[in-house]
Amino acid sequence: MFKTNQPIFKLFWICMCLVSVNTFAQSDYRTNNELTNALKQIKSKHAANVKLQSLTKTVGGHDIWALTLFKGNPENNPAIAIVGGVDGSLLLSRDMAVNIAENILNNHKEILDNTTFYIFPNMSPNASEQYFSKLKYHKLGNAKKTDDDRDGRINEDGFEDLNNDGLITMIRVEDVTGDYIKLKEDERIMSKANAKEGELGTYKVFSEGIDNDKDGNYNEDGEGGVHFNKNLSYNYPYFKPGAGEHSVSEKEHRALLDFLYEQWNIYAILTLGPTNNLSNPLKYNAANAKKRVVTSILKDDEALNKFLSEKYSKITDTKGAPPAKGKDGGFFEWSYFHFGKLAMSTPGWWAPKFKGDSTVKAKKNYKANFLQWAEQEGLSNYFVDWKEVSHPDFPNKKVEVGGIAPFVMTNPPYSMVDEISKKHTDFVVEVTKMQPNISIENVTTEKVDNGLTRVTLNIHNKGLLPTHTEMGKRSRWLRRIKVDLKLNSNQEVISGRKVQLINSIDGDSSKELTWLIKGKGSLTIQAGASHTGTDSTTINLK
Amino acid sequence: MKSHKYILQVVLLSMMFPLAILAQKTEDIYRAAGSPHNPKVQISFNKYYTAEGLAAISKKIADAHPNLVKRESIGKSTEGRDIWMMAITNYKVGDADRKPGFYIDGNIHSNEIQGAEISTYTAWYLTENFGDIDYITNMLNDRIFYIVPTINPDARNNYMKAANTGSSPRAGMIPLDDDRDGLFDEDGLEDLDGDGSVTRMRRKNPNGNMIVDPKDPRMMIEIGPDDVVTAQRYEFLGSEGIDNDGDGRVNEDRPGYYDPNRDWAWKWQPDYIQGGAYKYPFSAPETRAVADFVLKHPNIAGAQSFHNSGGMILRGPGAEEDLSTYNRADIAIYDAIGKKGEKMMPGYRYMVVYKDLYSVFGGELDWFYGGRGIYTFTNEIFSSFAYYKTKERDPNQMYNFEKDLLMGDAFTDWKPYNHPTYGEIEIGGFRKNIGRATPGFMLEEELHRNMAFTFYHAFHMPLLSVDSVKEKKLGGGLTEVTAYIKNERLMPTHASQDLKYKITRPDYISIKGAKVVAGMIVTNEDFGFTEEQKMNPETIEVANIPGNSIVKVRWIIKGNSNYTIIVDSEKGGVVSNK
Repeated sequence: MFKTNQPIFKLFWICMCLVSVNTFAQSDYRTNNELTNALKQIKSKHAANVKLQSLTKTVGGHDIWALTLFKGNPENNPAIAIVGGVDGSLLLSRDMAVNIAENILNNHKEILDNTTFYIFPNMSPNASEQYFSKLKYHKLGNAKKTDDDRDGRINEDGFEDLNNDGLITMIRVEDVTGDYIKLKEDERIMSKANAKEGELGTYKVFSEGIDNDKDGNYNEDGEGGVHFNKNLSYNYPYFKPGAGEHSVSEKEHRALLDFLYEQWNIYAILTLGPTNNLSNPLKYNAANAKKRVVTSILKDDEALNKFLSEKYSKITDTKGAPPAKGKDGGFFEWSYFHFGKLAMSTPGWWAPKFKGDSTVKAKKNYKANFLQWAEQEGLSNYFVDWKEVSHPDFPNKKVEVGGIAPFVMTNPPYSMVDEISKKHTDFVVEVTKMQPNISIENVTTEKVDNGLTRVTLNIHNKGLLPTHTEMGKRSRWLRRIKVDLKLNSNQEVISGRKVQLINSIDGDSSKELTWLIKGKGSLTIQAGASHTGTDSTTINLK
Repeated sequence: MKSHKYILQVVLLSMMFPLAILAQKTEDIYRAAGSPHNPKVQISFNKYYTAEGLAAISKKIADAHPNLVKRESIGKSTEGRDIWMMAITNYKVGDADRKPGFYIDGNIHSNEIQGAEISTYTAWYLTENFGDIDYITNMLNDRIFYIVPTINPDARNNYMKAANTGSSPRAGMIPLDDDRDGLFDEDGLEDLDGDGSVTRMRRKNPNGNMIVDPKDPRMMIEIGPDDVVTAQRYEFLGSEGIDNDGDGRVNEDRPGYYDPNRDWAWKWQPDYIQGGAYKYPFSAPETRAVADFVLKHPNIAGAQSFHNSGGMILRGPGAEEDLSTYNRADIAIYDAIGKKGEKMMPGYRYMVVYKDLYSVFGGELDWFYGGRGIYTFTNEIFSSFAYYKTKERDPNQMYNFEKDLLMGDAFTDWKPYNHPTYGEIEIGGFRKNIGRATPGFMLEEELHRNMAFTFYHAFHMPLLSVDSVKEKKLGGGLTEVTAYIKNERLMPTHASQDLKYKITRPDYISIKGAKVVAGMIVTNEDFGFTEEQKMNPETIEVANIPGNSIVKVRWIIKGNSNYTIIVDSEKGGVVSNK
């Protein structure tokens, strides 16, 4: 046998170690370049099951990547779309989207037998890069030049790093005309004075910077750009900063939507973004559901959302998600209200609640509680201590810079990302097991009389999920289930229809169809739609 | 005999050179009031033109008037045709794209064709009358017209050349799966009898509910419940066509279908809410081209789109849910122009889309106004009023008109046809060029009146000037300079929708060549109320210069009085006092 101390083996082990270092040394979120490289590696490692394409280049020159995971012809299976980076400050969503793809390929490849995936890891590549730049702040916009305060001047009042720590936090100015006070529970947090509680404001609070254009507003028109998650067509927030000049105005929006609209096999969209209907399912509101412009989830879909939410909470072992308001112009909201698909959304992570114990009492304020959790977890750099600075706008006042660091409240420490990604992969795998799946069952043929055969069968949905959401039944972008008799020239339908369209079939339900057919020979019947899978059967006429 | 031959030759020759050519000589023409009397470009306005025909005419106009017309393609259609735009102004005066702009388009609905001819007529009329009629000369000195005759060239051609009724295809030409069966445009109309139009199918049926009118074989009469009928009964079977895909339905998935006039970004809604919407605002290349053009031209202050039919001058809101977008100040301006239009175009009524027509999202006029703050009308060209110039309604008037005035040129008489599904049927009816499209002999008048309406609208775009400047010595070497900025037309520089959302930036009123100590807006001159602008006082920003009014701004300057005052407004243009 070979001895392991032979030079060749030494080299081998050195190489293995180097590889391990490259693979496992990731200690922070990946940059766009790193994510792009990861996608290319996935593509080269799983060439037969992966297609990687750039949908477009943004105005900032970034590729918008689409990764397709498939077996055989991708369009022959029902598909799930997974969309990350809808909010550029949610770094987790981009890394997780790539991790889910890897997990599926490495550990669950069998689900590609029945499901295709379209994965878009980062819809805000320009914004997310801000995390990796010298000056870190939550950026949401693309590189489009925008006049955020619509005063005719572009980018005239951005942030300034007054304390030179590379982070944009807050400034507080001691001023009796201000309406903020220090929070009693934790004086590091500034909160609005409540006059009804007898509180008098003693501070003014702004984001970190100076009022460059002297209009009384701080940092209201920096390098804003158009926010991906504010530019879709549902409840579009007209002329708000970040919304753009009209909905779906940007290249990345059009490229993604054009892609999704033409992929008829998509039945579900998982948005990795700020809205969280997987932890907090949407509630039905009859009045809003019945208006012409629908703004409530529909009744049947409410039940479906609740069902999926229970699965999600169990599989990901999560609870206590902070309530997240729907986003005007948001992508998840579009995917349900305007596209009609099975729509799921989660940020993937939120800081768990600090519960306290006999010695340390949990604080009620969300931010104060977060600081307790961060301390308990031993996080570093999550808070910038208030420090006095001289500020040109307030020459004779005490001005301090400080506050919770950007990104830490909405992105977990990177060490948690693998585990979070794994749990979300498990959830996605579970969804594929429940997906709509049309089959033809219980085929019977009876001879009625000479040359006349009665054919009866069930069009069955083997999946737990309905073929169409209630909203999807209304959408022109989900096909109906088509049942088509491939008749020969010597065969004729006497009763029943040659082509029949069925609006939808609920989970584990079926519809019986029957025909009288004149003629001889074999006849093939096909049933299904792109997003439900298709089945066919061949019978012999009697 | 020889001389006879000679005479014959002369007669034949004179027949070969028709009078029209001889009449090109100006001395042979007597000027009719109101029409270009010796145009450089000859165009017949008693017919319609295909997309290619229109493109050729706009090129002729541009080539003949290089100092007045710049012609460019603002984008490509679905099938790759250029969408031609003529930018018409006096290019020798001022900065063309900084003049208040008036945008005109036609034909967004493919079968609603007249708008292209109105647009073309307008371009022709402006260029041929410039330098001849002061109203037009001034208009082109002060304003720029952006004219796009057809924003739906593909489907315009489809309407004219393919199997269609007078109401199809309406959509653009992107194939869509209307019946959600996975096939695209697989079952359209057919011109089974080959008369160039899709007319109607009827079949003899002893239980049918129609009979042929014994007094006019073109017409069908519906049988009432108490009628005793001995004549042959018929049933109607819809528009000409067959079941191409064998699904048991006829003509259910035609070219399109989406409606380009549900594709605009103001309060856009998807197809299940607003039938006809496509993927997202400006998802059709033709509407996208217009939107991109308009976004690049913030000087556009007024706009007009042309449809047919019904004789309407329409303003928004399109949707009842959008009622609050239109406020009183702007409605007053719409009313003034719209009511004038009713007088200029007999048979046309000034109406509001959501309440007088139907409540609809995503229309062009809503985006122009709601999204860009541009006062915009849509005219529905032609109505039954035109048949006998009367508002009295006679259900048979179209049949009578077709016989009395068109000499039977627009009806295909019923003839037998053997249909693959329906068997022995008859096909006949009005052809596609009547009912909506203005008949040829009335067309030029229709074009002219609609054009005149757009001129009235364009005339009332803001017209700014530095009306006067007053100086007052304050002592200590300081002078108070007050400038009176006048807008002498109906429209403000910012519609109230524009002000509400700050769609276009404030107007800048600057003093150049003076040392400025302070600057302010004068809100009440008599009592001396002012609002000081601390930052950048040389350029006073005023939110709006209202219609028919004066805005006053004031500076305190030090030293000489050799300054210039410049007004720079996105929709009001750039003017100065020097």
